[in-house]
Amino acid sequence: MNAIIQQRQGRKRHKRKTHDKCYKKCGTISSVKDLRRHLQTAIEIEHATLPPYLTALYSIKEGTNAFSYQTIQSVAMEEMLHMILACNILNAIGGHPAINKKRFVPSYPGYLPHSNNSFIVGLGKFSPEAIDTFLEIELPAQAGAPAQPDHWDTIGQFYEAIEYALCHFDLVTEGGIFTGDKSYQLDENDYYGGGGKLFKVYNLPRAIVAIQEILSQGEGMSDSIFDSDEMFGEEIDIAHYYKFNEIKEGRRYTLNGTPEKPPCGEKVDVDYDEVYNMAPNPSIKNYPEGSPLWQQTNEFNKTYMALLDSIHDAVNGNPDELKRAVPLMFDIKYKAIALMKTPYKDGMTAGPSFEFVK
Amino acid sequence: MTNSTEHFDTFLAISAWLTGYEPVELQGTGMVQTYYSTLRENITAIDLDAFFAESDFILAKAQTDVDAAKVRTASHLMQNSSFNSLGKQIILMWYIGQWFADPSGDPNNSVQINAQSYVEALMWPTADTHPPGAKEPGFGSWAVKPVSVDTFNVTL
Amino acid sequence: MTEKQYDVVVVGSGIAGAVLAKVLTQAGKEVLMLEAGLTAGMALKPEEDYENYQSYLQRFYETTIKATNTPYPEIKDAPSISVLEIQPQTPYETGYMVQLGPLPFGSDCLRAPGGTTLHWLGNVPRMLPNDFQMKTLYDQGVDWPICYDDLMRYYEMAENEIGVAGDVDSQQGPDMSRSNYGPDYVFPMDKIPQSYQDQVWIKSTNGLDVSLYGKTYTVNCISMPQGRNSTPNNDYRYADTVWDPASQSLNLITTDKNYEVVGATWNSYTGERCEGNASCVPICPVQAKYNALKTLKKADESKLDIITKAVASRVLIEPGGTDVAGIMYKAYTDPDSIEYTPHIAKGKIYVLACSAIENAKLLLASNVANSSDQVGRNLMDHLVLLTWGLLPEKGYPYRGPGCTTYIPTFRDGEFRKDFAAWISPIDNWGWSWPTFAPGSDVTNAVINNAMFGKDLRSHLNADVPRQTLLHFECEQAPCADNRITISEKYKDHLDNYRPVIEYDASDYMRKSFKAAKHVSDQIFAANNIEDHTIYSPTEADYVTWDGQGYTFRGAGHIVGTHRMGSSASESVVDKNQRTWDHQNLYLVGCGNMPTLGTSNPTLTMTAMTYQAAESILKQLESNN
Repeated sequence: MNAIIQQRQGRKRHKRKTHDKCYKKCGTISSVKDLRRHLQTAIEIEHATLPPYLTALYSIKEGTNAFSYQTIQSVAMEEMLHMILACNILNAIGGHPAINKKRFVPSYPGYLPHSNNSFIVGLGKFSPEAIDTFLEIELPAQAGAPAQPDHWDTIGQFYEAIEYALCHFDLVTEGGIFTGDKSYQLDENDYYGGGGKLFKVYNLPRAIVAIQEILSQGEGMSDSIFDSDEMFGEEIDIAHYYKFNEIKEGRRYTLNGTPEKPPCGEKVDVDYDEVYNMAPNPSIKNYPEGSPLWQQTNEFNKTYMALLDSIHDAVNGNPDELKRAVPLMFDIKYKAIALMKTPYKDGMTAGPSFEFVK
Repeated sequence: MTNSTEHFDTFLAISAWLTGYEPVELQGTGMVQTYYSTLRENITAIDLDAFFAESDFILAKAQTDVDAAKVRTASHLMQNSSFNSLGKQIILMWYIGQWFADPSGDPNNSVQINAQSYVEALMWPTADTHPPGAKEPGFGSWAVKPVSVDTFNVTL
Repeated sequence: MTEKQYDVVVVGSGIAGAVLAKVLTQAGKEVLMLEAGLTAGMALKPEEDYENYQSYLQRFYETTIKATNTPYPEIKDAPSISVLEIQPQTPYETGYMVQLGPLPFGSDCLRAPGGTTLHWLGNVPRMLPNDFQMKTLYDQGVDWPICYDDLMRYYEMAENEIGVAGDVDSQQGPDMSRSNYGPDYVFPMDKIPQSYQDQVWIKSTNGLDVSLYGKTYTVNCISMPQGRNSTPNNDYRYADTVWDPASQSLNLITTDKNYEVVGATWNSYTGERCEGNASCVPICPVQAKYNALKTLKKADESKLDIITKAVASRVLIEPGGTDVAGIMYKAYTDPDSIEYTPHIAKGKIYVLACSAIENAKLLLASNVANSSDQVGRNLMDHLVLLTWGLLPEKGYPYRGPGCTTYIPTFRDGEFRKDFAAWISPIDNWGWSWPTFAPGSDVTNAVINNAMFGKDLRSHLNADVPRQTLLHFECEQAPCADNRITISEKYKDHLDNYRPVIEYDASDYMRKSFKAAKHVSDQIFAANNIEDHTIYSPTEADYVTWDGQGYTFRGAGHIVGTHRMGSSASESVVDKNQRTWDHQNLYLVGCGNMPTLGTSNPTLTMTAMTYQAAESILKQLESNN
């Protein structure tokens, strides 16, 4: 593992961290308890990206937009992976991920948790506007941008603050902070699909690799459009930001692609008309209680809640629960699509609302 | 010639009545328009007018007296002599996704309407499952009861 | 393009051909592969591969009557036999296959890139040691020239390549225990979860005593090893099969990494697990099920030339000698046109790997390898007796892979002297095979009973989820008169021969149907299953025994048309699967199997193909 870390550090903006530097860069993360709170926020951020991605994905009509469909799907699969990796880190330092609580579930439209509130994220069909929002979400940090524990500009800066805090508190705490119950960790046998692998986190090097995996898949390795998956023996893949940019530009990157230049590889067909015309930001509040659409939406939300319950249990000591989450993940897809085929008003359809229900 | 949307609402309502599914459930399949078009391609406008007139009568009756509406359906829509078995054709279209040219004569004489009509055929959810080769429920799903049964304890 | 002299010419890109292409090219040999099917099916670029496979899936959705070959292109220049052609009354010549009877042969296979693994179910139990000695132990059929132990290491190679998911420890039954696998052996992946319905069955079936002709047998239910993706087994340590020139052998090499799951050919992240599409036959939409194209893509491309739309038509013999001089193939452009150009493929060694039907046909058409007069004979299949009924509670069928649990109890025993052994898969797909349910349940309720509305919906919901089906896949004994021949009367579009079949079910088979139904009755009674089995005299393959009628169905396990043996006078190939008559002609595939056993044959055939690959490599190196 050390070899991997060293190899990675050769390529990353992160320099080997010293005690002093870590402490300064932790910013306002003041204690291990506070660090756990920030990791909970990290989990919430990862999760908050899923409903928008899934809504756009499921709005694409069957058999159309193959490239965009596969792209968004692969990103969503990796966000799910990131969410569970973040749970592994939190569990590793003795925290308890809270997945199925009311405050965990974001409302749309809204800001991503703890962000600088510079852009709003909503639930919308696959459209140029949706892709623009996704690019905002996955925006890479500028080289040398500061770590930001609160009001972050980019997700990368937020994670960097967490990484510094993990280093700092692990150094200054007697016996280290990685004292969590190892049986709470999930690995590749529990979750699969998409690039990147889920692995157990039980010490600082592994936690750092986990954060690097999350960041490189999202924003790319520094100065590169590629993510780090090839280090894990997986296929070369480009990072989320650049994947979305391929959709936006309607072209693939080539192997020589760089962050500065737009993609100049082969064209891909993107057809924003082959999409269910979902009214933006569906909500159960839009329908009279007990009405057919209210009931269908309620069913969807209950399935979504059952899914969150299952994930919650899986990351709180019952890893096998994740297997039970699988059919629920598939089921919300079919329920979401059924809603997006159902007329609502003004030529627009209903859609999945991803709301908390008891 | 009737215009292309006339009777559309009646078609949805009588489909729900004949299949036992709620209109919103039928809409969720995305097949209402396709099946309505299939009717219009295969049945003359005159026959359709008569069928939908009877349907409107039954649907109105169902508002006040469900049993009477059922009796009327059995005698006026489900007989082989009723509109050349059009009621049966509509049910089979929704449940199997195929157009049966002559359900009372040769039940093997049917045509798959299109790919989506296979995927959305109601017989699969009715049987607490999904169409083979589509709407896959995920790894290990078959080792437990179906989600619809297990999570919500849905009973009909 | 055929001027080049290859080390090996392989005819066919199914699992046997693909294994050869992979092993031989990775060992540095130059290989030419001829494939009769279309070029699109061989697509190596991910986008084209995905697009082609989606076209298969689309064809499956859009076709009214769905059968094993439905998703795949029908090609007049290289027709596939089809179960849709089967008629109750023989003789007939309406399909590709000419059926002379007395019974119609009820199975099919696929001529396309990837072969029949595109539509196979993927069950991969091993054969039993006793299966290799049927003559010695039970005075039936013949013994194999090799025994189970000879094949064991090749089984491990086949299980590695296919990516078998299963639980070794639960493989317990007559002549089957841990010792069949060796002390520490595990499959590459954990078992595919057994279905909810299996669990309903197991409650009253596992440990059940049933009686048969005065003997008591205790039934057990165990998980089925399958060629589809599941969770990697952390204890599995084999990476790949590699040729070792020093020892002149193929060896499985070990690794400290976990088994790498092989997903779809177009995207390795698709199909990393079985997603429960419940359509393994005829098509796995995500390719979580193994198919031969996965193996073919691992071949060393720089050493492999593939010619598609190339129908092998004749094996040419050196004038005045016995060596094969080349394979004449007809290259077509338009798959439905009668036009073709003839070419000759040349190599040092030739291998026919194009199914038991096509291999036999090609040998007969060329008049080669047949000094024993065994080519085309001993055609076998599993004769499948189905029994079906309604469970007292919902088992929720039509979900998951076709079979996740089986009953091994009657796979071996003294009774094999009197009647055929069988394997009993518990089927997860309701009554779809015998009755075309649930469509037939709908038409019956609507057309015959005029049901509608909520009554219709709740009637179907109450009954269909209780449907359950049991198989009895009976081992057909070899019989010289069950055979494939050719005739000038029957040619296809490209002027190649069509297979002409003579086929029957012997008393040995019919006795086993009676025994199987008797066992079924007892198992159904113990489970309170309401029997709905009907065998109709108007069906194809309806036979009688002791005054009772039974309908059997083909299993798609087409075996035995060029059998392996220990003497040139009684068999077509020797134990290395080389033809006795031609030192540079090998045959691979199910046609080599002298007897069938009760296993789905693909795994055993693949193991045998590794053995053949090893022999071929040895022969090539000894000639150098």
